[in-house]
Amino acid sequence: MNDYGITWKHLASLILAVGATALVIEQAPAGDEAIFPMPAGKTYVNECGSCHTAFAPGLLPARSWRRMMAELANHFGEDASLDEPQHLAILKDLESLAADGPQANLRMRRISAAIPANAAPQRIIETGYFKYMHDEVPRHIWQRKKIGTPGNCIACHIRANEGRYGQGEVRIPPP
Amino acid sequence: MKRLIPLFALCIGLPAAAQTPQLILESLVAKAGPASVARGEQLYRGKSKAGKTADSCVACHTENPKAVGQHVKTFKAIDPLAPVAQKDRFTDPAKVEKWFKRNCQEVLDRPCTPQEKADFTAYMISVK
Ligand code: HEC
Ligand code: HEC
Repeated sequence: MNDYGITWKHLASLILAVGATALVIEQAPAGDEAIFPMPAGKTYVNECGSCHTAFAPGLLPARSWRRMMAELANHFGEDASLDEPQHLAILKDLESLAADGPQANLRMRRISAAIPANAAPQRIIETGYFKYMHDEVPRHIWQRKKIGTPGNCIACHIRANEGRYGQGEVRIPPP
Repeated sequence: MKRLIPLFALCIGLPAAAQTPQLILESLVAKAGPASVARGEQLYRGKSKAGKTADSCVACHTENPKAVGQHVKTFKAIDPLAPVAQKDRFTDPAKVEKWFKRNCQEVLDRPCTPQEKADFTAYMISVK
């Protein structure tokens, strides 16, 4: 026992407590980590993730998704049409998880705020948010064989189909 | 017995659609005639003048059906088509029909005939 009344036991529990707190902070998703909610179940990834990344609904506002879903038979020149039950289920998920949807987080609301109210963009890669987040990626990187286009999110964001775009989960494929 | 009930429920719950490539081929052949592996391979490798974004199957799936392909427009990687290399291929009849519908339209600008579907499937199964 010393003058301050601190024993090794006190010290040890203090260190433990600090360590535990650090762990909790480390593991808790930081409020601004780039994680987007994804529709539950496999339908979305199976149907909308077969030709490309299953884009997180939170990357576009609901009006964009409504228009896209109404034009699926001619979807960027391809037939992406769905049967009725799947169509309805996916539309519902897209609307509720959209950038301006009821469950939108701060990041998603920023995405939607940057899109003019009278616009219903169909391309994520043309949104201000996407361009801003990727303005440091040089052109020759996009042209790498395994990437090809900025729309190929999953080539770099390896967990994009789970809505995860955080910094620690980016792997740019080598040339 | 009570313990067996969940087990039964589990069996019934299995996806009804799960099939084998051989069974899928048989049901396609039943709607056409005997399948030809050679014709199927021709369809796979042939170039089409009607193609919108892709002029052939191999444009996305590559010359080797056991290799990982890449979508010509989205650049997404595509799992191999041959069941020998990708075990869930040709095991879901609805999925097989869906992609014949889309991709025949895409490459040939028309639906594939039942004969073409049977031939194509026979070729994919024959790849070893
Ligand atoms: C049959 C293939 C196919 C299916 C299925 C499909 N898409 Fe697409 N999608 C495409 C193609 C091709 C493009 C355009 C790619 C390009 O030109 O860069 C595209 C582009 C997109 C884009 C724009 C991406 C960007 O920013 O450039 C979005 C968003 C999108 N699709 C959403 C969906 C959704 C939602 C579904 C499911 C309802 C879906 N797609 C299903 C083929 C498909
Ligand atoms: C060339 C590989 C590449 C592709 C393809 C790509 N990104 Fe990124 N993305 C990056 C890099 C690099 C960053 C910046 C990481 C950092 O330093 O924070 C980034 C950042 C982001 C962020 C912000 C992450 C954060 O921590 O705030 C989001 C969201 C994002 N990308 C979404 C997408 C979407 C959606 C697509 C497809 C439409 C896409 N990206 C395609 C490389 C890529």
